[in-house]
Amino acid sequence: MRLPGAQVMQPKALPEPPSAAVIAFNRMGFGPRPGDIAAFNALGSNDVDRLTAYVDQQISPGSIDDSACDARISAAGFTTLNKSQAQLWQDHVEADVSWSERIRPFYEIERMAFLRGVHSKRQLVEVLTDFWHNHFNIYGYDYWCAPLWVHYDRDVIRGNQLGNFREMLEAVAKSPCMLYYLDNYTSTNAGPNENWARELIELHTLGAKNYLGVMRQVDVPLDGTGKPVGYVDDDVFEATRCFTGWTFDFDTGLFEYRSDWHDHFQKTVLGSYMAPNQAALADGLDVLDAVAFHPATASHIAEKLCRRLISDDPPQTVVDAATAVFEAGQNDSDQLAQVVRTILLSEEFRTTWGEKIKRPFEVAVSAMRAAGAEFSFSIDESETDSYLWRYDQAGQPLFSWRAPNGYPDVKEDWQSATPRVHLWRMCNWLVDVEDDSDNFLLDVVDQTPAHVRTANELVDFWIDRALGRAMPAAERSELVEFMAQGHNPTYDLPIDSDFDTQERLRSLVSLIFMSPSFLWR
Amino acid sequence: MVRIKRPTRRGFVVGCSAAIAGMAGTRFNNFAFGAPGSGHNEETLVTIFLRGGIDGLNVVMPLGGPDRGYYESARPDLKVPASGVEKAISLDGVFGLHPSAAQWLHPLYQDGRLSVVLAAGLDEANRSHFDAQEYMDRGTPGNRTTATGWLARHLASADNLPAEIVMPALSVGNTQATSLLGDRDTINLNDPDSYNLEIGPWRWRDAQRMALRHMYGGDNTWLHTSGLQALDGMDLIELNTTGAYTPANGATYPNNSFGDAMQVVAQMVKLDLGLRVASLDLGGWDTHNGQGDGSGGYFAGQLGTLAEGMAALYTDLDGSGAADYSQRLTVVVQSEFGRRLYQNADRGTDHGHGNMMMVLSGSANGGVHGTWPGLAPGQLFDSADLAVTTDFRQVLSEILIRRMGNNHLGFVFPGYSNYSPLGLVSGADMEPDYSADGTGIFADDFETGEFGRWSAITG
Repeated sequence: MRLPGAQVMQPKALPEPPSAAVIAFNRMGFGPRPGDIAAFNALGSNDVDRLTAYVDQQISPGSIDDSACDARISAAGFTTLNKSQAQLWQDHVEADVSWSERIRPFYEIERMAFLRGVHSKRQLVEVLTDFWHNHFNIYGYDYWCAPLWVHYDRDVIRGNQLGNFREMLEAVAKSPCMLYYLDNYTSTNAGPNENWARELIELHTLGAKNYLGVMRQVDVPLDGTGKPVGYVDDDVFEATRCFTGWTFDFDTGLFEYRSDWHDHFQKTVLGSYMAPNQAALADGLDVLDAVAFHPATASHIAEKLCRRLISDDPPQTVVDAATAVFEAGQNDSDQLAQVVRTILLSEEFRTTWGEKIKRPFEVAVSAMRAAGAEFSFSIDESETDSYLWRYDQAGQPLFSWRAPNGYPDVKEDWQSATPRVHLWRMCNWLVDVEDDSDNFLLDVVDQTPAHVRTANELVDFWIDRALGRAMPAAERSELVEFMAQGHNPTYDLPIDSDFDTQERLRSLVSLIFMSPSFLWR
Repeated sequence: MVRIKRPTRRGFVVGCSAAIAGMAGTRFNNFAFGAPGSGHNEETLVTIFLRGGIDGLNVVMPLGGPDRGYYESARPDLKVPASGVEKAISLDGVFGLHPSAAQWLHPLYQDGRLSVVLAAGLDEANRSHFDAQEYMDRGTPGNRTTATGWLARHLASADNLPAEIVMPALSVGNTQATSLLGDRDTINLNDPDSYNLEIGPWRWRDAQRMALRHMYGGDNTWLHTSGLQALDGMDLIELNTTGAYTPANGATYPNNSFGDAMQVVAQMVKLDLGLRVASLDLGGWDTHNGQGDGSGGYFAGQLGTLAEGMAALYTDLDGSGAADYSQRLTVVVQSEFGRRLYQNADRGTDHGHGNMMMVLSGSANGGVHGTWPGLAPGQLFDSADLAVTTDFRQVLSEILIRRMGNNHLGFVFPGYSNYSPLGLVSGADMEPDYSADGTGIFADDFETGEFGRWSAITG
């Protein structure tokens, strides 16, 4: 029987799982740089030991020397990254500056994300930053959000993503960026606005899977611990009342609680009763407790992390294991690090391959990592502007998803032709772009060792650089045929002297980045 | 059990750089389209999804009576006035159209080309954008993970289409629409002018494109298929678009991405590549805040964009004889839910339930349709929202049956059962086929060999 709900677009066969090193660099990082695979393999005598050692390094990013990346960030000439929340507001809002200066913190964070993705050894941090920015998504270009984007990235996301979820949630709830984006900054007892409360429960914590729709609270079944199994619209409305008066001061750019805007009457959210006239902030904090410690939140966050790190449809076993760690560690200061470590050291992580594809950001950054492109990512470099413009057309401009659910994380949303075409265009541009002095920013010819000259050698050298593993024979043979152009693939090609052959080599490297194999994760 | 063939683009295009190159400069015209009189259905359905939940009560609102009183008292700042310079334009004496929409659409309404549905939506309320959109895009209320979209299932089950169509489905935008999820023949594109690989080292571009086709043609996974879709799309665009596009009849599209997208639809329709379904979105309707007082402000501008784009598409495709594309055009406008009757303190509106829908077609009956549930406190859904009296599937089903000639409602909308036409468009009525069982629905000759890429549904 064939039903429309049946499986769709599954590969007939998934690619063979590669080594743990390739899996690690592609799913807890943005792809291998030259030398990465060898360094990983030196960490132990078998894949389990190597992966354990690598994960333990990555989960303690402070232990990793990242001075080379830091030096690049310094060289880029950013000026806002060390400003406090209050200083950002003073300099970029209160100072009544031009739009380009107002939005500078946003642009610097955007460029820093590329710089760190390409150059940082703390790859897991960058993957998780991308994950949490999308989990707590904000449209960063918003008028009042862009000037504070350094604060949101640093204080809210990076500052908490290996810490405690409940603390992270409170940082999100009190950030002017979120207060503005989801309208809570104007929510008052006289005129409540439900936008924040709804997305807090639907997207940030329990998840839509546990939305029971329009139903009365008393009709919701309880779980074994006496908590409602899910939430209903009335929970959203009651939570909305709890957050009335949570706003920010437009003079300082800092969080502010307005008692005169707060609804002080009693409320009930997810079975938790808030007595009338609680202390300042208590109603909202109680809601954060209720949602952060709800079992549905543990499984929702665990499943999303597994989806990011392992598979679009992650095995329930690893989701359950991560959920248990999330719940057991709910008061721990490294709760989220524990959860991530559990997922990365699971057998499922080590043995799963090809259940995800690279999205545009992952394609862009992994290509640059493989090929060593020398973009400064400074604000005033025209090639960087051009690159980002091309990148944005592929459909995943950073911090620019309008709706609060963040960019989708499953392949069905990224298999469309438009992003594919624009990524291919970006790859072809990347191997061809020159700076003002006519130097290639990514010099394919210069990076090819002198002893690599036959079509076979050229193809294999660049496949190894791009993938860190072999390519299926049928796919590789197309590359060889392209590079050889009718010549014997074991004969040397005139790479050093012939312009056309150099052009072909550039097109070859782009072609590898455009290949099906480059997309598997 | 019916035996249904689905059209395939692949039968024509697959493997094809050489085949296509041999035809460079020609149109595919009747070859692919099925000439008029051939017995094939030649309708084009354009779906516009308004993401974010448009405030339908400020698009079509009561002009008088007790409901006008409820409307005005619930929306002291936001109400669209019933009199004055910026007043709503009467549709039928009872309901009015926001002046920003009326500026573009009222002439079409007067010509009977625009049908308005009053209180449509999901039969079961859901105030989550994401759930509600998934339910509608996939055509399965209550199930947000159905593996195929409703438009994909329409194309798969329509038994009145030619066996081969060059471009059966178009999804304008940055990604393929969820309503077309599972349809591997859909062309997804945003801008035809940049839909190519004419960039980078120039000397080896053709050889590179051929190598790409071979690499993506070398296996049968969804990843490979999506690569081939991109390559096929580039071939089609390259062969069929020459020079700048000039809209017909002096049509002017709004100068923004929605206008561009609507123009792409017209452009593709006029290429005679057999376009049957086009999907596009207009977002920006989640107006919790500052949506604009009366007839002005943000909402009015956004609504003007929608209406201007709709009118431009219709005007551009209006013609005579075989070129009268508008006779074969049906545009349907929907959104995931309406918004509260009561404005909030931020002069915006929160998530609600029932909403208007619009159908624009050269074959429309025109007029206001559906049952108005009323705005009195006892008539509101959950004491807050316009109720739903028309299942959104009823509107879409009428278009499927009367315009597209596809009565397989059980396959397109599994679980839907009580269809009756509202009279939005003209066309022959058919007995709905509510069987959801897809057995036999795909002819075997499309499941085997290199055309058997429909693992999507054929499993």
